[in-house]
Amino acid sequence: MSHHYVVTAQKPTAVVACLTGNFTSETDLNLVIARNNQIEIDLVTPEGLRPLKEININGKITVMRHFRPPDTKKDLLFILTRRFNVMILEARMVGDTITVVTKANGNVSDSVGILSEGGFIAAIDPKARVIGMCLYQGLFTIIPLDKDASELKATNLRMDELTVYDVEFLHGCLNPTVIVIHRDNDGRHVKSHEINLRDKEFMKIAWKQDNVETEATMLIPVPSPICGVIVIGRESIVYHDGSNYHAVAPLTFRQSTINCYARIDEKGLRYLLGNMDGQLYMLFLGTTETSKGITVKDIKVEQLGEISIPECITYLDNGFLYIGSRHGDSQLVRLSSEAIDGTFVIPVENFTNLAPILDIAVVDLDRQGQGQIITCSGSFKDGSLRIIRIGIGIQEHACIDLPGIKGMWSLKVGIDESSYENTLVLAFVGHTRILTLSGEEVEETDIPGFASDLQSFLCANVDYDQLIQVTAESVRLVKSATKALVGEWKPEGDRSIGVVSCNTTQIVAASAREIFYISIEDGSLVEKCRKILPYEVACLDVTPLDEKQNKSDLVAVGLWTDISAVILSLPDLETIYTEKLSGEIIPRSILMTTFEDIHYLLCALGDGSMYYFILDKTTGQLTEKKKVTLGTQPTTLRTFRSFATTNVFACSDRPTVIYSSNHKLVFSNVNLKEVNHMCSLNAQAYPDSLALATKNSVILGTIDEIQKLHIRTVPLGEGPRRIAYQEASQTFAVSTLRIDVHGRGGAKPLRNSASTQAQNITCGSNILPKPGGGNSTAANAEVGQEIDVHNLLIIDQNTFEVLHAHQFVPPETISTLMSAKLGDDPNTYYVVATSLVYPEEPEPKVGRIIIFHYNDNKLTQVAETKVDGTCYALVEFNGKVLAGIGSFVRLYEWTNEKELRMECNIQNMIAALFLKAKGDFILVGDLMRSITLLQHKQMEGIFVEIARDCEPKWMRAVEILDDDTFLGCETHDNLFVCQKDSAATTDEERQLLPELARFHLGDTINVFRHGSLVMQNVGERTTPINGCVLYGTCNGAIGIVTQIPQDFYDFLHGLEERLKKIIKSVGKIDHTYYRNYQINTKVEPSEGFIDGDLIESFLDLNREKMREAVLGLELTMGGERKAADVEDVIKIVEDLTRMH
Amino acid sequence: MSVSDFIKGLPIHDSNNFTHLSNDHGIRTSQKRASVYLPTEDVPEPAQLIVMDKRCVLLRYLTQQWDKKTLQRKREHGSESSTNNANSTPNGNSSKKRPRLDANELN
Repeated sequence: MSHHYVVTAQKPTAVVACLTGNFTSETDLNLVIARNNQIEIDLVTPEGLRPLKEININGKITVMRHFRPPDTKKDLLFILTRRFNVMILEARMVGDTITVVTKANGNVSDSVGILSEGGFIAAIDPKARVIGMCLYQGLFTIIPLDKDASELKATNLRMDELTVYDVEFLHGCLNPTVIVIHRDNDGRHVKSHEINLRDKEFMKIAWKQDNVETEATMLIPVPSPICGVIVIGRESIVYHDGSNYHAVAPLTFRQSTINCYARIDEKGLRYLLGNMDGQLYMLFLGTTETSKGITVKDIKVEQLGEISIPECITYLDNGFLYIGSRHGDSQLVRLSSEAIDGTFVIPVENFTNLAPILDIAVVDLDRQGQGQIITCSGSFKDGSLRIIRIGIGIQEHACIDLPGIKGMWSLKVGIDESSYENTLVLAFVGHTRILTLSGEEVEETDIPGFASDLQSFLCANVDYDQLIQVTAESVRLVKSATKALVGEWKPEGDRSIGVVSCNTTQIVAASAREIFYISIEDGSLVEKCRKILPYEVACLDVTPLDEKQNKSDLVAVGLWTDISAVILSLPDLETIYTEKLSGEIIPRSILMTTFEDIHYLLCALGDGSMYYFILDKTTGQLTEKKKVTLGTQPTTLRTFRSFATTNVFACSDRPTVIYSSNHKLVFSNVNLKEVNHMCSLNAQAYPDSLALATKNSVILGTIDEIQKLHIRTVPLGEGPRRIAYQEASQTFAVSTLRIDVHGRGGAKPLRNSASTQAQNITCGSNILPKPGGGNSTAANAEVGQEIDVHNLLIIDQNTFEVLHAHQFVPPETISTLMSAKLGDDPNTYYVVATSLVYPEEPEPKVGRIIIFHYNDNKLTQVAETKVDGTCYALVEFNGKVLAGIGSFVRLYEWTNEKELRMECNIQNMIAALFLKAKGDFILVGDLMRSITLLQHKQMEGIFVEIARDCEPKWMRAVEILDDDTFLGCETHDNLFVCQKDSAATTDEERQLLPELARFHLGDTINVFRHGSLVMQNVGERTTPINGCVLYGTCNGAIGIVTQIPQDFYDFLHGLEERLKKIIKSVGKIDHTYYRNYQINTKVEPSEGFIDGDLIESFLDLNREKMREAVLGLELTMGGERKAADVEDVIKIVEDLTRMH
Repeated sequence: MSVSDFIKGLPIHDSNNFTHLSNDHGIRTSQKRASVYLPTEDVPEPAQLIVMDKRCVLLRYLTQQWDKKTLQRKREHGSESSTNNANSTPNGNSSKKRPRLDANELN
């Protein structure tokens, strides 16, 4: 048997639908957002959008609409899922608690219907009398709404129109009346149908308009009293109400298609339109009042500006809009009545969206054992790379604009009995500024004893209610109560202090090679000792290792020239231990600290790397030297306390928090771009906070207790499709798709993007003639025609700068790429597969496999070979190139002449879309014939088919879990695992790959990759997981599949069954039904997979429900079976959550 | 009419909404997700069940058409109008069956 645990690390981010209404109360204005299987309810507040709740639906949401029942002031939600489940939901808010009530639910599937071509469409009568849906060809499904009935009888009505593009209900009709755009042999037409709800049939056609625009796609019903409908076409907009007809063809519509709209006014005079290019338009109906009432006089359309490529738009309040997107970040934007830089659209907030994830690379750039994911996300102009890593978040509470900060300290001034700090000292070049924190307000103040015309090197509260300030000139001692100078220490002559460190009783300062030890007394500073060191001091530290002590017996010093860390003893400043750090980079920051009772010395260098040692407190000896790379810039180390433990903050271009877990140091990234300085801050208004100085500001914030996924965006401006990492050149290769438009002088890019702004740009020569002759399509393209231009980008692994762009001549497109080391060749190459795509051909017939070498900032083509078909997949296979080309799987070897030579070949597929290799074994994912296992017989130089899954499945991604176990995702969003049965007795059985585990994931996987988001082997795990496969989906989700042993599976399965009963399903879709493996009409129960999302929701239950959930659950611990208690289960589930 | 005139007088639900939202620090990027709704208690009030009419659409359509026509016929017969003869002739053969069917339905 095969047992697996599947869990979402990053929830889906693509927005399917959004709407605004009064849901949580009659007065609350809510934004509701639908993403794959979740809806989010937000509240519109003066501070912006406030997320209230995220609601899981056991189904893939395809339509979400809202309506207001007659005589009520609250809106209800209607949801239709991919498996034809429908529900009507109501949100109720009591105090701060939301309850979501399922008002109605059911299933409207038809066992014999043919799915409609235009996708699922649903509309609701404006008077909320009926819901209408187009699900199947020739049928119109209605759900008459009646709040008093216990049952709502849904009925299919026969509809003459077979191909329907859009359906809406008209306003101001006596009977519910739908209007449809449909297509027949003559073109597209608009037609209205009146519904007789009593007899459940269409009564008559109120009006129709034949032959509207050939590309008409969308209907906008206009509310009363104007009524009628707006028909949106590709080039024109028509208003029609049966008698009155107006048309307009705005020039600004250009190439793209309007795909969503939002009504602005209740009366329906203004609408927002968004198109696939990310342009926002406003449509305005001009009206006149005649004897017949208000009629439309004209239509005006104006372009407002650019937004993310929208999927849905909704108007919120006060000129703010929410733009939901599948292709880029969703946005909160403001409409400005005056144009700012030529646009009326002001973006205010971006909501991260990873969808669609087409490819991912898992890399460990910092060599810390922690993977990060680079995704190919977004499409067209919103294409980007996303760098995803687990780290610690800073919750920003306040931000002060102050550029040029050179140092920062928090102090208690004049309030020594209080536990809170009230002052922030900021050092700048040539001066020091002091800020007082009173409540949330921050104002500048003065401490007379401080030298404010000098840059401070250090400020601190010290014993006897005193403060010290260290500048280049002197150490100043100031009474906290009077703020007056009471003592000062200066190095003799014109020498200046270079570096300094202190604790509450001791100061150690250095001037070039000389080091001074100064004791802090009441009202005076007493120099105790001084020594000359062999080299200049670069950094030093005198932090007490014992928290209860207020003085240190050791001084840690970093030296210039010989690049060493030295431990001196106090008070005599004797050198007791010297550790040479290898390399030429000088130490910039040194720190002694204690984590979990182990003493450490941390020493950060000027290049962002850091050494750390175990420090012996008595002998000063440094052992167990280790090195990590934290950033690329000089790093400063500071300690802070958070959640009652000591942590170290490493300030650099990649800020990091260092802490200890299970007696091992953990380096956790912080979700800020750059932090130059930091200090802990415990002020009344900002308790347990940090102050962080960035290039231009000070951020006051708190730090997250746990690590989370953090996402950084590298915008490309064009759609990335494939990514490969190459360690040898420290680069990524990314294939992108750019849309150029044919003008009079040839094709030109529409906008600047990564491939047009690269440091180097080269252009491929299209040497392959089109099979069968004829002109290439690019040459005789019409003006205004869009052309797909594929580029190979070489991107720096650290800066993500585009170092090189290699453009392919259309119609040559990149189908896949990889980085590989081939044969005995010492170089590492990028292998790129292309094909010539002609629109008239059903499948490309010709392509190339090209070998590129990136070295010395130059991309050179080393070799190429012609292939007869599209190469869909490339895998490095024992130093050779394994390719899935059309229906073939081929192996190419790399000859000494640097040429690709075909070694062997097998044709047994429809289209070999996906390849994975392990040892001599090859897993092939086919277009429609599921998965096949091949073996390469090296001696004979042939491929042998070992086994295959005989059930037809349209594959989306495949992965090898172990030698015998293979994971696949097919196009109906199901995961399955097949296992090779080597022990089978007959050959026939051995040739089968029986399906042992199956699960409905509910999202389409585009890519599987082995790798982990968290550090491997950190401490001991209580959960026995084996291997880790990451996946990326169409809806922007990232998840993990891992193998688990049988007994653990049984335990989790027991917990899962109990949780299914305890957690009620919103919309009443059964969890078991949701996870059922379903392909068209075939339904099989899910097995062999544990739904990690459900398991992890255990932690969010209250204690009582937790107890209920573990009741009767048994657990094997230390070889003994026992009844599980809540604490055991919490520990296990928490451990499982640490996978992401 | 300029774009500015278009954008003037956008609807206001609560004039305070979004007033404290500043974008002095440029565009904010948010990954914030709301807490997950985890209902463990059933709502006492029963939900309406949406049930699908499983009858064949075509049959239902035909019976409806049939009913319509027969009703019309009945009226025609009742009025004994000779002007409608032209319309009823094509269905003349079936006219004999009609009373029986109606009778059956009544039974």
